[in-house]
Amino acid sequence: MGYLLRNRRRVNFNRVTFGIIIVLIFSLGFSIGSNSELLNSLPSVGLGAVVILLFAVAFSVLLVKIIRRLVKIE
Amino acid sequence: MIKYIVAALFVGGIVGYLNSNWGSIVAGGFVSDYVFNASLLLLLFVMGVAFGMDKESIAKMRRVGFKILLFPFAVALGSVLGGLVGGLILGIDVTASMAVSAGYGWYTLAGPLTIQLFGAKWGALGFTVNFLRELLTIVTVSLVVKLDKYAPIALGGATSMDTTLPVIVRYCGSDTLITAFSSGFTLSLMAPFSIAAIAMLPR
Repeated sequence: MGYLLRNRRRVNFNRVTFGIIIVLIFSLGFSIGSNSELLNSLPSVGLGAVVILLFAVAFSVLLVKIIRRLVKIE
Repeated sequence: MIKYIVAALFVGGIVGYLNSNWGSIVAGGFVSDYVFNASLLLLLFVMGVAFGMDKESIAKMRRVGFKILLFPFAVALGSVLGGLVGGLILGIDVTASMAVSAGYGWYTLAGPLTIQLFGAKWGALGFTVNFLRELLTIVTVSLVVKLDKYAPIALGGATSMDTTLPVIVRYCGSDTLITAFSSGFTLSLMAPFSIAAIAMLPR
């Protein structure tokens, strides 16, 4: 649909998406807040989880950077 | 922008918590399923329209082509490697820590699956690591994008096809939509298999 309309006047999508994102994130927060199982497991494993997570994301970002350089994706 | 997102997440969390503790004034499932899915669908639609209107992104997608599939594999490898290093540093069972980070952010899968394969103790870890991954992506996307244009996609892992897709596209640009979605999609497919495969490693 967007492809067909591509030569028409530009609509300000940023405002539209911003509003929907806020609703989306709010309901995400809502479901986290109502999930007592999740909230209870947070403190007991907190530190270990943070350490594992930080390494996992650091290596993921690093490898993506390397791949981008190797195959030259803009 | 980011402060509104964090505020929305926070307020949503508090409202959800109070709602479930004060006898569900609003049926919890209504917000977490119906409103969530409706806004997600609407957002994907709007982003699809924006993508189709952007001539540059379409041309760019054609240029990148199949190389797009390298991203999810880099993210998967990086996550498992991170799990290994993290597990070694913490001095815990590295098989479990690798399996936990092979959830790639999909906590509703990683939680139950690690409970089944490793027991309740690791299930909580599987839940938390992946849940925090999603949260971290949403909260830090504006900073991480400065490291690399595609870094938020790596951070989001499997969640970059749905929950974190809007913020990623917002910060990395409309042309990353297909990359982010396909990376999240591939990682979502890989997650159950990689967790199960890691669980089969000798301990």
